[in-house]
Amino acid sequence: MPTLEASTKLPPSTHEFAEVIHRLEAGGAMLPDTPENLMQIIGIYKAYAVPMDFYWRDLLYIAENVFLNPLPFFKYFLPQKYLDLPNHYAGDSADLRIWRGAATAHPELLEFMAKGETGKMPKLLHHLFHDRVNMEFAEACMQAMLWHGRDMGWGLFDGYLDSDEYRANADRAITAYFKYNPPMLALYKLFPEMFLEQCRMMSYTANLGLFWEVMAPVFFEMSDIYDEGGFKGVPDAMNFLVNGIFAIAGRPIYHHVYIRGECFEIIPKSKGFMWLYEAALPYVEAVFYRTAPFRGTKSYNAQARQVPADQKDFHYGILYADVFPVGTAGIPPTLLMQDMLHFLPPYLVEYYQQHCRGEGDTLIQLGITFQRSMYCVTSAVIQALRQALLYPLDDPNPKHLAANRAFFEAQLDRFKRPEARLRDIQTQSYR
Amino acid sequence: MLSALIWFPVLGALGIGLWPNASAQLIRWTALGIMSGVVLLTLGVVLPFDISAAGLQFQELLPWIEPLGLNYRLGVDGLSLPLVALNSILTWIVVYSSTQSLKPKLYYGLILVVNAGVTGAFLAQNLLLFFLFYEIELIPLYLLIAVWGGTKRNYAATKFLIYTAASGALILAGFLGLTWLGHAANFDYEAVQHIVDAIPAGLQGLILLTLIVGFGIKTPLVPLHTWLPDAYVEASPPIAILLGGVLAKLGTYGLFRFGLGLLPEAWTSLAPLLAFWAVIVVIYGALAAIAQHDIKRMVAYSSIGHMGYVLLGGAALTELSIVGAVSQMVAHGFILALLFYLVGIIEAKVGTRELEALNGLMSPIRGLPLISALLILGGMASAGIPGLVGFIAEFLVFQGSYAVFSWQTLLCVVGTGFTAVYFVILLNRTCFGRLDNALAYYPKVLWSERFPALALAAIILFLGVQPQWLVHWSEPTTAAMAQVAAAYEPSAERIGFGTITQAIAELTHPAAPPTPLALIPPIESTSPAT
Amino acid sequence: MPDIVDIAVSNDAFKTLVTAVTAANLVETLQSPGPFTVFAPTDDAFAKLPPGTIQTLVQNIPQLTRILTFHVVSGKLTQADLAKLGTVTSVEGSPIKINCSDGFEIKNATVLIPDIEADNGIIHVIDTVILMG
Repeated sequence: MPTLEASTKLPPSTHEFAEVIHRLEAGGAMLPDTPENLMQIIGIYKAYAVPMDFYWRDLLYIAENVFLNPLPFFKYFLPQKYLDLPNHYAGDSADLRIWRGAATAHPELLEFMAKGETGKMPKLLHHLFHDRVNMEFAEACMQAMLWHGRDMGWGLFDGYLDSDEYRANADRAITAYFKYNPPMLALYKLFPEMFLEQCRMMSYTANLGLFWEVMAPVFFEMSDIYDEGGFKGVPDAMNFLVNGIFAIAGRPIYHHVYIRGECFEIIPKSKGFMWLYEAALPYVEAVFYRTAPFRGTKSYNAQARQVPADQKDFHYGILYADVFPVGTAGIPPTLLMQDMLHFLPPYLVEYYQQHCRGEGDTLIQLGITFQRSMYCVTSAVIQALRQALLYPLDDPNPKHLAANRAFFEAQLDRFKRPEARLRDIQTQSYR
Repeated sequence: MLSALIWFPVLGALGIGLWPNASAQLIRWTALGIMSGVVLLTLGVVLPFDISAAGLQFQELLPWIEPLGLNYRLGVDGLSLPLVALNSILTWIVVYSSTQSLKPKLYYGLILVVNAGVTGAFLAQNLLLFFLFYEIELIPLYLLIAVWGGTKRNYAATKFLIYTAASGALILAGFLGLTWLGHAANFDYEAVQHIVDAIPAGLQGLILLTLIVGFGIKTPLVPLHTWLPDAYVEASPPIAILLGGVLAKLGTYGLFRFGLGLLPEAWTSLAPLLAFWAVIVVIYGALAAIAQHDIKRMVAYSSIGHMGYVLLGGAALTELSIVGAVSQMVAHGFILALLFYLVGIIEAKVGTRELEALNGLMSPIRGLPLISALLILGGMASAGIPGLVGFIAEFLVFQGSYAVFSWQTLLCVVGTGFTAVYFVILLNRTCFGRLDNALAYYPKVLWSERFPALALAAIILFLGVQPQWLVHWSEPTTAAMAQVAAAYEPSAERIGFGTITQAIAELTHPAAPPTPLALIPPIESTSPAT
Repeated sequence: MPDIVDIAVSNDAFKTLVTAVTAANLVETLQSPGPFTVFAPTDDAFAKLPPGTIQTLVQNIPQLTRILTFHVVSGKLTQADLAKLGTVTSVEGSPIKINCSDGFEIKNATVLIPDIEADNGIIHVIDTVILMG
């Protein structure tokens, strides 16, 4: 969008991140538009999309089939049915065919699931060796959404989880699920709230699965377009995301559970819950901005007020994250980086080898690339919100432009705190 | 065999020195080859060594300058063998871990000469010969600090030179006093040992004090230590290992061999003083270490404190405490070498030794995780955590000395508590916490750089769980030393400060009557029944 | 007088809106006595949305209904009424901000033609599809 003219109609911003604000007003992203940044973020989208193809399938499997299994040992063992589950937004059967790519699981994912790092062996051994796609990260994201859901201010999803309608639906599903399991049924009678809370967790699991079902083909498509020489810069990539957000905004968010072949609609599609309001925006808020400190990454002293008193002030998401502790065993960020490590495109592998410790710290380098890429996604969300709720960047009305600026400044205020990585990603020396 | 141990590295040093146009890499590998030869030769001594014998083994005698009483007499016993082995191993590691491109011929040559000198000193069984070896390593070390040291290297090296020269002078004075006053036929150790009883007790005490101060500078014992922090800190990491791991042992070895070994009676009398001194050394070293902000300096002060345990073990004079003291020399050598090596790596990679600047090195990918882990191991070993060699040595010392010097021992135990304090400070600041995102782009540590640390850690751990391998070499020798000293136990009160002042008076005015200042009346008999 | 649906159908500028309302089965509702206030985006307003947006909504009727009902307020509110209210609550449930200080704006949409009276309500034609949030 050629809007440099438009942005000059306002006096320069005096915000701490004035440069970034002017860039956003000119249709750019928070991430500087350099070929190096573009290469990094597209490469990491591709590496993210492959495990994401597993995440969404398994999340739906857990939400729809594993459900309240008290001993879910095999919840990460994805049955063939879910590997073949056609993506609603990819493949020939897609509802909306704007992204190419197959409807079933990505071939690189299948190859990795068969061989892993160690070699061909039974699924159980791969699982125990932790040589697999790490669902722990996906579940950490789901938990962040569940935990922050209450006061995020986006969508009707979390409120619905407290409604009598939801309780009734959940009750039917839980009773049916434990129909032949008297001990669990008795427990349910004793502690109904506990089961209900588990059910809510499953609803968020479905929510996140449905959200990522869309993101996986989007990222694959971006990688394909880049490989074909399609994107000219970071704003192109961001605008592709903005268009994707709009195109898919109306995709229904629901929670169906399949018990002995019967479908229980805990959250029916007819509630009208939408991808944009009930999944994407809460996800960005909960995962990109807030989450909670991951165990093993830092020590906090709550008495010394090192942890905010209000959930809304939490700032431990990827946009603020300290990527350097990545590698610490078992923490979800490490698990995500490990997942992406397996699917890096060759140009990124080569790129990382040229910097820092090369292969030795690829995990952290790609983590920082991931951080950059998520600043691009967040930029897309900010621009999409601006487009949906405010005014075009080339709006002739100065009042409208001022409203846009106020919106951008309010968004960037969130990155004023010292932990925010917005300053760091402005240069390449942060890697 | 023993001669080969001394002269092989000397020949090697000459060879390196005369080799024209060799690259630094080639010289390093050659030096390493020579040191590997030395390690093999050491093995050639260690393997046939009879661990049940208390006396000297592999003796060699070559009359040299007989009018001077200087004989080339070598021998090894349970006291010197572990130290010779320590010297060979640590020098190998020093050569391995040095990648010196500035005047490499001189550098590696000097290290080999130091190795030869130290081995010679450990093996020499002639007082003058010992003195020669003892002095020989001084100049190479001075150069090693002054040429390849840190920013204040000249100051540190000069200070080192002056102190150590004074130490040499005092030791020489002590040796001459022993030989002349006892009218020994020559400077051979055994010859001197036989005539010591002929020296008046007061003079014995005086000579011992001279020797203690002389060797105390080298060890060093507080307050004779002030050269050490500067020398250790300014020396490059490999040289610091050489200084702390090997050279300091010359001091304690000298104390045991010539102080305790030649003057057991005087030693027994001064033992309470030495035990008290040990407490001061331990507590001072630990407290000074707590106050440091530079991790290398912290390790240097920790080294001072640990010498106190050796002194305590020697003062207690029980079989257990002496074997503990010898074990502590070896244990301290390995632990200090490990710590200095790791500090050297950290400085090389991170670019600072300041506690305030270091943080989060435990971080698994961007930090120095293995180095940090080994630093924790080294700290634990130094603080005497069971399962590591430091615990064995300290435990033997304390176990042996408690019965004799109970409160001194308890204070030293408190001192190990302080050791834990500064290591917790060091480890907490250095290894734990958050890695600085702006600075933490440290180069990775290569496996070749990790190897020496891993080898040292393996030794520390192995000797910690299998202490027999550390102790059984020296047990018969130290037991014999303890027995000799035990014979003087009843007369422990005989030599005190009074007799020493009196001896000074007698020396200056041979005919003068006993000074009234003497607290204890002089005793005419020169020795008790032996 | 024609009802809201009649007005929309009879006007060429509301083809997309009419299709959407038909797909969402809201025709009968909007023909009921009401009264309603409808913010009617023109075809141009729908065209401003990125490609695929409408298609996805049309495929998912409950979601489409939600967006459409956001454009409807119960009661018959003229420009003057709206200016007084400042904020109104849509049938969807979310609030809609009205700005009359400088022209006549519904959220971020500008009213092209205000106060088209119908049998069962009133229509304000807007230039942008308004979205919740």
